[in-house]
Amino acid sequence: MLFCIYAIITLSLNLQHGYTGIFNLGLYLPILVGAIITASVPGRLAMLIYGIDSELDFSYNNPTVIDILRSKLANDPLMSIILLLITMLITIIVCYVLGYLTAHPALRLPADYLALFMLCLSESMRVIGMQTTWLTGGVFGIQVINPFWWLGRYSYQGLSIFVVSTTLCICFIVSKICASPLGRLLKAIRENELVAESVGKDTNGIKKQIISLAFIILGLAGVLHAFWMGAVIAGGYTRVDFSYWPWLMMIVGGAGNNIGVLFGALILVLIRRVMIVSKHVFFFLPFSVVWLEPILLAIMLGTTLMFRPEGILPERPRSIMNYMKKILKSQQQ
Amino acid sequence: MILLQIFLTALIYSFILSLLAMGFTLQYITLNVPNLAYSSIAFFCTYLPLTFLILKLSPYMSLPFAFLLGGAISFLLFKFLKLLKEKGMSLVGLMMATIVFDLIIYACMNIYAEYLSRNLQIYAASFSLTAYDFELLGLPGIMFVSAGACFSLIMLFTLLLMKTRFGIAMRAAVENYNLASTQGVNVDRVLSVAWFFVGGIAGVSGALYPLWFSMDPWVGARMFVTIFAACVVGGIRSIYGSILGGVLIAFSEIFVCFFLSFSFTWIWSYRAVISMIAAVISIIGMPQGIAGYISKIRERGLIKA
Repeated sequence: MLFCIYAIITLSLNLQHGYTGIFNLGLYLPILVGAIITASVPGRLAMLIYGIDSELDFSYNNPTVIDILRSKLANDPLMSIILLLITMLITIIVCYVLGYLTAHPALRLPADYLALFMLCLSESMRVIGMQTTWLTGGVFGIQVINPFWWLGRYSYQGLSIFVVSTTLCICFIVSKICASPLGRLLKAIRENELVAESVGKDTNGIKKQIISLAFIILGLAGVLHAFWMGAVIAGGYTRVDFSYWPWLMMIVGGAGNNIGVLFGALILVLIRRVMIVSKHVFFFLPFSVVWLEPILLAIMLGTTLMFRPEGILPERPRSIMNYMKKILKSQQQ
Repeated sequence: MILLQIFLTALIYSFILSLLAMGFTLQYITLNVPNLAYSSIAFFCTYLPLTFLILKLSPYMSLPFAFLLGGAISFLLFKFLKLLKEKGMSLVGLMMATIVFDLIIYACMNIYAEYLSRNLQIYAASFSLTAYDFELLGLPGIMFVSAGACFSLIMLFTLLLMKTRFGIAMRAAVENYNLASTQGVNVDRVLSVAWFFVGGIAGVSGALYPLWFSMDPWVGARMFVTIFAACVVGGIRSIYGSILGGVLIAFSEIFVCFFLSFSFTWIWSYRAVISMIAAVISIIGMPQGIAGYISKIRERGLIKA
């Protein structure tokens, strides 16, 4: 499941940076927004629909409310699916608007400051998430409903199938975008923005649209992550886990190549899992093994940058001759 | 009394933030790479006064060591970036390289905090050293020390930049790297000294921080937002603008929170967000920051004259 979520995040990052050249370090802003929406909307909506005691607050009496909702939703598959779809729809709308609003000031900045701006916005959102107890449960977090409780003991499997199928859908959409004329335009913007502008392309407008689209994809990743975890703790959405790791995955895999970034995500998720599972090997350490993770990330990032900055599966240059042949073939037919 | 306390907080915060913003801008203009590890370097050094206190020494005695530690880490980072730059690494790659240092420092900070908590039963994951500060004329010692450190370091830097051969060489290297090297300036040495000096400033600012404010290993990430906001408000490539930006952001953060807290008691929790709002307003209304605005006014004055 973790691979699916990181696959979505890295694909979105690849669309932004690998194809368009937008340097965004604040990936966890929309992820957090998606998670916050998942934490606050479906549960409250279900409370309203089922007319659950208005004295109970979803945030402050969270375990009690979740228990009541579990019993209700376990017998109501239609309502569960509606709640899931509403959550995703709200996330899409909010993330699109947020992406557009964020891109407006961000694109006025030089590339490096754009990255910092996004990083700082995400950190601000994390502060908001951590402090807004009524919305996210504050530092203690909040439990989230499972839209597949109606499957009984197979609810986790149902959620897993949903996460995998959503990931496949997003992979398909992103690969279609990248292979389309829009994908080639994005590469043109990445390579030389001035030239793209000189042939009449609104590069800033396209960048805004790409940021908004990436925000939607990341927001959906946040929704899936929250449902999968069964809880949202805003403080857990850190720059290391949701920004630096995806960047490393993209760099290791190869920016500008969707297969490459998926491969990078797979390798790094496996390495992280192996580290967590073999925790007991590091019993002799006088500190928690969890702090070895950032060090491992740093070493891998440094090594990749030093020895293979283009990644394991770098972007392959496409020959113009292939396009010419295709055009000629279609004309002959 | 409360107003005095708030004013003191804003003043101390502005001294620390000005130094941090100045250092960040200086590192940026020397290599054209924003250092994402900058606040981590600064706040890693906050553990030095705590260590000195554990060793039954005054926290202020740690300041020279904080300067050396911050400088050394910054110097190492410069060498790493230089190596990658020589290999033809892009801006993105160089910024990712600063993340390598950020991550290592972040992990080391947490490991040290955990080590202190486990072995010495000192809760180092969140601490403040305000109780161990001295008093002078009824005011906390940190106010005088932070003011002294801020003014002396800025003065020293200005003198270094304007009155010495090294300063001339540094300005030349910042303006045009290749031209300066063809004129016989040892650009690498000049820039590495500059990075060491700036890292030292970050270390001192970080070491002063826990003497008035509460410290935890995540402060670095939170403060990065404020440092960035100060740099944007002051002017992205202006050293003196960033100092001014630091003062403005520090005062606005503290005073906006203070005045709004009469109506909204919860506002203090969102302090970092206020500086980010200021940065967004600045980017939309005044993209060149205060420094850009001042130079515009100057240009207009010259044209009229």
